[in-house]
Amino acid sequence: MIRGRVIGEVWATRKAPGLTGRRLLVIAVDGADRAMVAIDTLDAREGEDVMVSVGSGARNVLSPGPDNRALLCDAAISMIIDGES
Amino acid sequence: MILGRVVGEVWATKKHAALDGRKLLVIEPYLWYAPSHEVAHLVAVDAVGAGVGEDVVVCMGDPARRSLGTTSMPIEAAVCAIVDKIELAADRGARPLTFVGGTAPAHEAV
Repeated sequence: MIRGRVIGEVWATRKAPGLTGRRLLVIAVDGADRAMVAIDTLDAREGEDVMVSVGSGARNVLSPGPDNRALLCDAAISMIIDGES
Repeated sequence: MILGRVVGEVWATKKHAALDGRKLLVIEPYLWYAPSHEVAHLVAVDAVGAGVGEDVVVCMGDPARRSLGTTSMPIEAAVCAIVDKIELAADRGARPLTFVGGTAPAHEAV
C-alpha cells in the first residue's frame, strides 16, 4: 500500500462498467512530487491521509472474491488514517 | 490509475489477434505515479469510447490486461473513465505536483 493525501477529485460520468457510482480521487503520494488517481469506497475527504492499495489487489477493495477480474481498477483507497505512533 | 489526454489514435492492420477490433489510443500522461519508463506517450486500449482531445483516467498493469475478458492481451494500459472535471486543492502544502506531460490539465482550484 502507498500512503498519500487526498488533494482533489476527478468527475467522470462515462466510466468502465463496474466503476459506475464510484468516486475518483486525486492522491498526492507521500515523499514524492507525484500523484495518482484512486477509487474511493470509504468516503474520504480532501486533506485526509489515506492508504491506497495498488496493483491487481486493488480490485478486491471494490468487490472481494475471484469474480472481480473485469474491474478496471489498479488503485483504491483501503484506509483513512486517524493517527499513528 | 493515471491521468492523461488522448492525443491520437493508432491503426494497425497487422496486429496480435487479441487486439483485433480494439481501439488503441495515444495518451499523453500528465499525472503518473511511478512511471515505469520516462515516456512522452503511451498507448492504451479504449474501453469507454474516448476520443482525441479528451482527458481520461487510465488503468495500468494487470487489471488493464484482464479487464477485457482475456488474460492474453498484450497490453498494460486501458482507458477506464472520461474526465468531465478535475478539482484540485489550491493549497497543497508541501506536496507540489509534477505534471509529466506537455499539456497541463484543465482543472479548477477548490
